[in-house]
Amino acid sequence: MSGAAKSLPVPDDSAPRRPRRLGLSGLLEIIGIYAALALVLVETLYPLFWVLFGSLKTKEEMLSNIWGPPSSLVFQNYADAWRIAGMGSRIVSSVLVTGSALIILVAVATPCAYALARLRFPGRGLVMAMTVAAMLVPPQVMAIPLFMVARDLGLINNRLGIAFVYAATSLPLSVFILRSFFVTLPADLEDAARIDGASRLEILIHIMLPLVRPGVALILIFGFIEIWNDFFLAFLLLRDPSVQTIPLGLVSFFQQYDSLWTLYFAALTITTLPVIVVFLAMQRQFIAGLTAGAVKG
Amino acid sequence: MTARSQEAAASGRSDPWRFLAGDGAVAFLMILPAAILFCLFYLWPFVNGFWLSLHNWDGFSDPTWAGFSNYQRLLHDRIFLGALRNNLIFVVAVVILKNVLGLGLALLLDRALVGRAFFRAAAFVPVTMSFVAVGLLWSWIYNPVFGLLNGALDLFGIGGLKRSWLGDADIALYSIIVVDVWKWLGFHAVIYLAGLQTIPSELYESAKMDGAGPLQRFRHVTIPMMMPIIFINTILGLSGAFVRNFDIVYVLTKGGPNHATEVVLTYMMSKAFQDGAMSYAAAIGYVLFLIVGLASVGLLALMRRQRLDI
Repeated sequence: MSGAAKSLPVPDDSAPRRPRRLGLSGLLEIIGIYAALALVLVETLYPLFWVLFGSLKTKEEMLSNIWGPPSSLVFQNYADAWRIAGMGSRIVSSVLVTGSALIILVAVATPCAYALARLRFPGRGLVMAMTVAAMLVPPQVMAIPLFMVARDLGLINNRLGIAFVYAATSLPLSVFILRSFFVTLPADLEDAARIDGASRLEILIHIMLPLVRPGVALILIFGFIEIWNDFFLAFLLLRDPSVQTIPLGLVSFFQQYDSLWTLYFAALTITTLPVIVVFLAMQRQFIAGLTAGAVKG
Repeated sequence: MTARSQEAAASGRSDPWRFLAGDGAVAFLMILPAAILFCLFYLWPFVNGFWLSLHNWDGFSDPTWAGFSNYQRLLHDRIFLGALRNNLIFVVAVVILKNVLGLGLALLLDRALVGRAFFRAAAFVPVTMSFVAVGLLWSWIYNPVFGLLNGALDLFGIGGLKRSWLGDADIALYSIIVVDVWKWLGFHAVIYLAGLQTIPSELYESAKMDGAGPLQRFRHVTIPMMMPIIFINTILGLSGAFVRNFDIVYVLTKGGPNHATEVVLTYMMSKAFQDGAMSYAAAIGYVLFLIVGLASVGLLALMRRQRLDI
């Protein structure tokens, strides 16, 4: 790769180059770049604004004014969507499932990652190999036997049960990422605490955990997006409408009443907007969290 | 435990509990919860799935031994083969589009002097949305009656191109591919952007001094320097496109019209939960696992041969 420039022509010393000023071509280039970016912006954001606009229109206006912002704000759509789609109980389910799954994930992944990074013990290589291998096996391909196992364990329609399944499917990548954070911490810290008589668990909780907080934040964001947005496993394991999460609720609402357009848009806005707002507030962490798997793996 | 370890010590054999000495006991306890979760929801289903695929079982009555007959049946199952074909088209198209458009967008973002953070955040918004929300949104964009797409075609005076984007068996699969690319484009662009920013500007400067034009600089500096990132994006796109397409297909078309957009996962789920053919569905899952596994291993081997470390 370092030989990339080799195939290029030899430098021509006889014609020294002046630093380029922003000429007409440079200006055109900048305009071109921004025009292309504006196109991307429209292509990405306009559909979202379209949903927001649609959620505030009357049903008649939805047909007469497809493109533009609403002429009046029909907030009643939101109340109706909330009621008909049973949003309240779906949101409770989603919060319950995602919250417990993330607590389980952090509680289980942290000590495992710490042990893999900082302790010497026989079988460490095997545990590490299993972690990496599991990252390559997507849980989706095991959906049918996973359903069987969950049924044998009595976890179907059990929100805490699916939280354990979610924690398990996010576990390999989380351990892998957290481990890479623990590895970088200096050994002196730990040695000093051990001389003072602290146990491994005390060291992990009081000394190491505060230092790997960015790593914990990464796996929390990654896990949150994966679990909050998941349809597939919830579809597999939560069959009873009373325990279903937001994505399942949206789909069944959509399939049941296929002419309540403005209400869909309201339901879509209710479920999508909070995540987008949180994302905009914590962009840096979100982007780092979602791409961590890529960069570390 | 003590009796056994004494016995082992006395007989001179290695002590089976020795792994608990030193940090061993602490490590064992720290890994135990993760190991339990892993065994219950990864290892057990993985082993159980293979056992299941070698039997005939509807999920309720007694399973009977079937050998490899489920796999043999798959080879002659037209719908399965069609789903596999659709899946491969989906994977190839999605991986190429995500890489080409992602790199293109990253190059634009890299050049943007003002508002880069804003444009990057905007492009990343769809990544944070659920497949269900994205799918429902696009089913309205594609809606033949008042959808945005047909409306836009009318607006630009090319109403002749109007289609039933999800109802036409010839194009429905490609309509879904567009949605998947739309959702993930920002993700791949951000990874490319991170890669672009690690390329030392001296390389571009010296290439410029050597008289290389923009296209030559792209070919001889950007592309070689970006090879590891291209591999990362390809692997991510590949595994994603193979196994993370159930949600989007289910929401948009449920595999229809007439299996035109059926992918392996949607077929597996309908076999399991509509036809009750649990063991046949498990075999489908295993075949998918083998294909994804081989593709990933092949790519990793290729990467190693190119001496690309990531």
